[in-house]
Amino acid sequence: MNLARLALVFAVLSLLGFGGGSAIIPQMHADVVDHYHWITSAEFARFFALGKLAPGPTTTMAALVGYAVAGALGALVAFAAVFIPGGIVVFVAAHFWERLRGNPWRERFARALAPVVLGLIWAGVATLARGAADAPLTIGLAIVAGALLLRTNWNQSLLVLAAGIIGAFTLR
Amino acid sequence: MSTGDGAPAPPDRPHPSLLAIAGVFGYISATSFGGGQTAAIRREVVRKRKWLSESEFLELLSIAQILPGANPPSVAVMIGSRLRGAPGAIAGLGASVIPGFVILMAIALVALNVHAPALTGALRGCAAVAVGLTCANAIEMTMPRLRSVIEVTIVVVVALFVLVLHASLWLTLAIFLPIALVATRKAAA
Repeated sequence: MNLARLALVFAVLSLLGFGGGSAIIPQMHADVVDHYHWITSAEFARFFALGKLAPGPTTTMAALVGYAVAGALGALVAFAAVFIPGGIVVFVAAHFWERLRGNPWRERFARALAPVVLGLIWAGVATLARGAADAPLTIGLAIVAGALLLRTNWNQSLLVLAAGIIGAFTLR
Repeated sequence: MSTGDGAPAPPDRPHPSLLAIAGVFGYISATSFGGGQTAAIRREVVRKRKWLSESEFLELLSIAQILPGANPPSVAVMIGSRLRGAPGAIAGLGASVIPGFVILMAIALVALNVHAPALTGALRGCAAVAVGLTCANAIEMTMPRLRSVIEVTIVVVVALFVLVLHASLWLTLAIFLPIALVATRKAAA
């Protein structure tokens, strides 16, 4: 019973969470803390911090809420519910979009959407930079990483690892 | 196509194996500490492996933006689907979220103190690289469009609109998509 409700809450989040993770997280808080009282606001903050710490989408923190409510099975149910329904919608939409190939409206829509989305991406870069490139060392790391990634084919994961080690010792 | 698996990919498109698709998305999901997963996907799939062109990727990312859910799995579903049909989409979705899930559960279960100074510092370092990665990505995606004054204007105005007014995605799309539809049609004519 609890599992079904858990699945339902996260499936709805998955389907109505327009605007990516930053839009989903506040709604998740409203659902699981304010409405259902499954966890406290402090627990939510801790889960959010863990979600930021782990790689992958921050929305994965839904699994921690599931774990708090119903153990390991709850974690699996919440994890599946927060990604699979949205994934199916995306798959169907992509299929539909593919079938419109050759339709002049598809081309016009894509052409118009591209610069708007690029603007959103640049706004995202600025927002990310405000939060994460906030001290001489982090600004330096961001610039060096950006320049290396533009100029070389170096693996971004190695840079992430290196910066993590540097940060562990110097950014306390 | 000769295998008769019904995958919709045209013959001139790269046809990586499901394992290769899962490998790339899985590896990115497992290593994107500090963020920047979508940017890492573009770097691997467009820049290194050339599975998709720059404009195809931007098109898929645009659709991901207006659909619900976090962007990285959405982009992975669409790329997987384009390369290998439904099995590719499933491989993309699973690989883009399962490694992150496993690592998240592992660090939560060992009751890691998230606020330990060394860990906070490591995460700040990783997040700084994610800023550099996302910015490098934005530069590479914008470069081919610099020729069009209209497009550059839209990019700048949208970015400022979102940053200054903290406008929601829907408000931004509702205002700028119609403007862009008119403006880019004139550019094409």
